[in-house]
Formats: sequence, C-alpha cells, structure tokens
Amino acid sequence: MEFLLENILNLIGFVVGLAIGVIAYIGYKNTGSATLFRLSIAFLSISVGFFVVWTGYMAEDFVLQKGQIERWVQTLGIGIQTVGYFFIAFSHSIKSFFPKSRYLRSIGIIPLFLVSAVHIEHIFRSISFILLVYGAIETILSYFEGKKKGTIFVAMGLSFLALGEFLGWYSFVFPESILYYVSISIKIAGLISLFIPVSKIPLTKIKFDPEI
Amino acid sequence: MAKTNLEAKLVSVYRPHMKIIGDILSTARDDLDSEEGATVTYLIRKANVSHVRISKILNNLVSQGLLEQVDSQGAFRYKISSNGREFLVAYQTFSRFAENFGLLI
Repeated sequence: MEFLLENILNLIGFVVGLAIGVIAYIGYKNTGSATLFRLSIAFLSISVGFFVVWTGYMAEDFVLQKGQIERWVQTLGIGIQTVGYFFIAFSHSIKSFFPKSRYLRSIGIIPLFLVSAVHIEHIFRSISFILLVYGAIETILSYFEGKKKGTIFVAMGLSFLALGEFLGWYSFVFPESILYYVSISIKIAGLISLFIPVSKIPLTKIKFDPEI
Repeated sequence: MAKTNLEAKLVSVYRPHMKIIGDILSTARDDLDSEEGATVTYLIRKANVSHVRISKILNNLVSQGLLEQVDSQGAFRYKISSNGREFLVAYQTFSRFAENFGLLI
C-alpha cells in the first residue's frame, strides 16, 4: 500500500511538474519574461525531484528488493524538489532565506527543532514546508489583489503540499498510523489543484517560436 | 482617510516593464485604425508612460520588429506588426498563466 501510494504521488508530481515547467518555459521563450524562467526552473526541478524518488521506488521494487527505498535516493529527490519550492518562493521576491515577518520566522523555526537530530532529508522537508507556506501566503495575498479564480487553486495546491509535508513529520513521530496515508493523499490533491488552472491555458492560440 | 491612502497605494502599484510593453502593443492593436498608426503622444496618454521612457521602448519595439514606424507628415506614427500581434497573444496568454501563481510577467 505504501509503495503504491508513493508511486502514484511521485508519478503525478513528475507529470504535473513537467507540464507546468514546459508551459512556463514556452512562455519564457516567447516573451523573455524572467518570472516565467524562474517558474520553469521551479517546476522542472519539482518534476525531476519526484522522478528521482519514483525511480528509487521502482529500483527497490523490481531490482534491490530490500523492503525500503535507498535513503540517499529519497534525500536527493527531496533536495531537488526543495530547489523547486525555493524558486516558487523566490518568484514572490523572497529577499532572504527566511521571511522577515517575526510570525513566519517562528513558524519556520519549529520544524527545524523537531527534526534537529535526524537525516538531511528531514531538513530538506522542513525547508520545503517553510517555502511552501511562504508561497501559499503570497499567492493568497495575490488573490485578494487580483481576484483571479485560478490563483485560489494554486494557493490551495501549495497549502495542501505544505500540509502534506507537515503531516508527514507527524507520521515519523507516530509511525504505523494513518497520518502517513493522509499526508500522501493531501499531497496528491495539492498537485492536482496546482494543475487545474494551468490546464485551462489556451495554448492552441499561440504561434510557437520555431526555435523551441 | 484610510480609504484614500489605500486607493493611492493601489493606483501607484508597480507596473513591470513587460506590462508597459503589453499596454503599448494593445493600444496600437485595439485602439486605432491600423492604416494610420498611433502618434507618440497618443501612446503616452493611453499607456501612461513618460516621454523619455516611451521613446526608448518604442525604439526597442521597432528594432525587434514588433512595431512598424511610419513617417506621416514629418511625425512618426507606430503600427503593430504581425510579429507584434503574435507576441501580444503570447504575452496575454502567459500573463494569465503567471497570474494564476499570483505573479506578473
């Protein structure tokens, strides 16, 4: 069951990240916008990160058969995803690694204390959580300015991914609980939510740059 | 008083360079008879950009082939080119894409 859910999550993450990343890259090639370039790096990183973890699970399932994914593969994949989340936050003009707001800093520090003695993977997850929360808050604020329906879906997607990471920690604290499955399901919902507005972009109207 | 401050803040929202280009091209495409083209004064008024800034942008857009410069009775007028129309469609599409992420391109 764990392997199945992980495979579904990582495959959806790979496909959604790739689709959004490619659209953003096409946008960058057609308009030269730095924002779209950052978005393409963000989502292509997220896609590669999910793909690395998925490859790890596949290798374990069909070749290694140790009963657990290689830790370094998982860490590498999550690290690459974190780079993607950083670029999403960076697109909202993040000025320093941690947000300036005292409140957000306090939120950010909690997970670092919780996972201080464990693997680098958990530190990456902590950083991802902070960046996702930051991205979600900024996107919600943008919704209040522009009132675009699509922005709500993206904000929900980022929030679900952050919540999924958060519940993922608790599943380490309470192993064998249902929290792990809830965490993965919420992340899948987050990825689908991210894709909904992007799927409505009318790309057929655009005459693409022949160099792409 | 608070409302006035908020309105002032909303009006003075930062407009990225790409948005200004989009506004100039939209004006050249939608507001004018395509045979005549727009004067610099008309574009300054519609796109809300200073003369110094718009001169640089117009030169850039003409050199990129997005606008065509027409000499009309001693004054330059600007018409959108077919490349400009294609760019504008792409700009508007990807602008909506970026807005979904709460971003401006």
